[in-house]
Amino acid sequence: MRALLTMTAVDLRRRLRDKSVLIFSLAVPLALMTVLNLLLGGVNEGEFEPVDLAVSAESDDELAGVLVDALADTGIVDVTVIDSEDPRAEVQAGSADLGMVVPEGFTAALTSGEEAPVRFVIGDGAGLSGQVLVTVAQGVVEQFRGASVAAVAAGTAGLDPEHAGVLAEQVLAAQAQVQLEQGEASSEQLSTGGMLIAGQAGLFLMFTVGFGVLGLITEREEGTLVRLRSMPVRMSTIVAAKALTAFVLGLVATSVLLTVGSLLFGVDFGSVPAVGALVLAAVLAATSLTFVVVRLARTAEQANVVQSIIALVLGMSGGAFFPITAQGVLGTIVDLNPIAAFTRGLGITSGGGGLGEIGVPVAIMVGFAVVCLVASRLIPNRGVAQ
Amino acid sequence: MSAAWAVATVELRRFLRDRSNIFFTFIFPFMLVVVIGAQFGGGASNGRVVLTDDSSALGQRIAAELTERDLTVEVSSADDARETLARGRADVGVLIDADDAAAFDTGEPVQLEMISAASSNASAVAQLVQTGVDELDREQAGVAALTDAGVGQEDAAAAWQDAEEQVPPADLEVVDVDEVSQAFAGVTGFDVGASSQALLFVFLTALAGSATLIDARRNRVIARTLAAPVSVVSVVAGQVFGRWVIALFQGVYVMAGTTVLFGVSWGNIWLCVLVLAVFAAVAAGAAMTIGSLLDNEGAASGFGVGIALVLAALGGCMVPQEIFPASLQFVSSFTPHGWAYRAFAEIQRHDGGLGDILGPLAVLVAMAVAVLLLGSLLLRRSIARAL
Repeated sequence: MRALLTMTAVDLRRRLRDKSVLIFSLAVPLALMTVLNLLLGGVNEGEFEPVDLAVSAESDDELAGVLVDALADTGIVDVTVIDSEDPRAEVQAGSADLGMVVPEGFTAALTSGEEAPVRFVIGDGAGLSGQVLVTVAQGVVEQFRGASVAAVAAGTAGLDPEHAGVLAEQVLAAQAQVQLEQGEASSEQLSTGGMLIAGQAGLFLMFTVGFGVLGLITEREEGTLVRLRSMPVRMSTIVAAKALTAFVLGLVATSVLLTVGSLLFGVDFGSVPAVGALVLAAVLAATSLTFVVVRLARTAEQANVVQSIIALVLGMSGGAFFPITAQGVLGTIVDLNPIAAFTRGLGITSGGGGLGEIGVPVAIMVGFAVVCLVASRLIPNRGVAQ
Repeated sequence: MSAAWAVATVELRRFLRDRSNIFFTFIFPFMLVVVIGAQFGGGASNGRVVLTDDSSALGQRIAAELTERDLTVEVSSADDARETLARGRADVGVLIDADDAAAFDTGEPVQLEMISAASSNASAVAQLVQTGVDELDREQAGVAALTDAGVGQEDAAAAWQDAEEQVPPADLEVVDVDEVSQAFAGVTGFDVGASSQALLFVFLTALAGSATLIDARRNRVIARTLAAPVSVVSVVAGQVFGRWVIALFQGVYVMAGTTVLFGVSWGNIWLCVLVLAVFAAVAAGAAMTIGSLLDNEGAASGFGVGIALVLAALGGCMVPQEIFPASLQFVSSFTPHGWAYRAFAEIQRHDGGLGDILGPLAVLVAMAVAVLLLGSLLLRRSIARAL
């Protein structure tokens, strides 16, 4: 036990003196998180900015009035309607965010079943609000069209013209048979900032643990492993010391990244014990993976390359840079990725979940660790023991 | 000159012999092009909706309305749907159970639960789902009204379908004068992703080479080369040339590969190569500077990868520069990636000629001269320094 702690302490001291662990495990991920958060933070947060809508429509056109009223009072976006001769010019000049041109004779065209397309001009400031308003307008225009369809259908079915008008009104006034009510979603999805912190912490954890177990190969190359084995220390203790080094480095780096990240970007990951359990499971999974790498690689350089490749593939497919919207079999494969499981677990805790709710992601990470440890016993040893 | 050439070819040979480069140089850039292309490619879909049933009449009718609105419809169980939404893999979910389907069939009112994800697109998709359901409601109401007026059920449904075909669709005309949309008009996500990845990897590959330079210094390769009748200028020139060839090779490889694999259109190829060549010179200078300043390979590769990724992000290679806030667009002007990105945007998307990219090119040349001078100076000084 004493030998184990001594070797771990020596390794940790060497790693801290060697600046690479500080650069790779803390400086680079923090710099990337900050920059990506600055870039993506402003893009993805779905907030509705108020919109200035420039409208050109005949003042006495009934349905144009209904359309404008519907847009002015959506209940979703705060809209200021501006009467305009040329909405496109207003939008291009920046004095309105969105322009709408209702063609002349709009009501007459719709009631007689003719085409009368409403034109929208989307400007720089319209953003998501513009998108929503265009969709609302689409719904209103479809409703007008519904009345025309009803009138035509009445004629086709052989009803007299008077009945057609009544039927159109009935369709517009009818109580909707199918109604949608907004349900409560479980809030397990991380915010953009939270996703970046979790993803980058998971990705760089893969690099950080490499500084532990992969040190076995460096020790072999430098000849210090042979000297260690000449002492009254079991090989298993030497390996355990490397694994412990990796585990401590991973634990400290990930905890620092999550803490600093959440403070910098105002993200709350929720229950500390649950987050702690997730970090432990993630570090366990990442450290176990290095046992596979150490069997595959002959030289320290090879080990670093294999470790980097696995880290980047797992990081990217685990959503370290962008959320992966995979479904089906591919989605299941992505779910088994420890970085994806770590991010998913943090989503659950940030949504208020505790230790009881993170069973699945923790099981995935622990399962990954077990598979790696078993694989490392089965894979022929090309490196350290030779 | 021949000595400089010899040093450069040795550097290139060492690079090609290193098997790790098979992944990082030849495979990894394409993986990122696919991921970024898929992220910003847009595609034809307006969003993703998950339904819990598409076998009943209600489920089928809703699915048809949503598909007509260019929404991608997926079907899963209610629990899976909630999880899919929670994890941001769909924008909106509509929960339909057996009771709802049965009620719809008998003409009774149905209330369906609609759940929105936290995605930025969710509200707009929810609006589209609402318009789809409204359309379905109108048809139901219309057929019911016709039946009440004495028309048979089947004739009423047929009359409604017939009328649907006769009345022109209620399409809107949408004109986008938004600068971002204009900037990306006619390009695919792969086009933007490919030029960004070319720049990212040119710098990344070059800076990763800074560790090789430290290795050469540590093993006294440079000192031994200088023991031969070779001037310091030739050795430094050889190192610069070697790094530059590797960086340019990486860029041209990404260009060629993405053209063949993803059909990326680059505009004027020779102008693109010119931009890459000048950009690669900046990268080579930066690699020499790091390789001369630091004395530890691990630290140099960590620092190199970090700097390469941060500069790439700030220069618009991870998120398109056009959607940056104004303050970050200003910051991007201090990165070589920022200027090279603008030059590529001009050539690729606006058929720009040499005259159109003179500004960005001049800034890149100035950056290259400055960083190459600094790198050469530091390398000359570092040769005398013990490691």
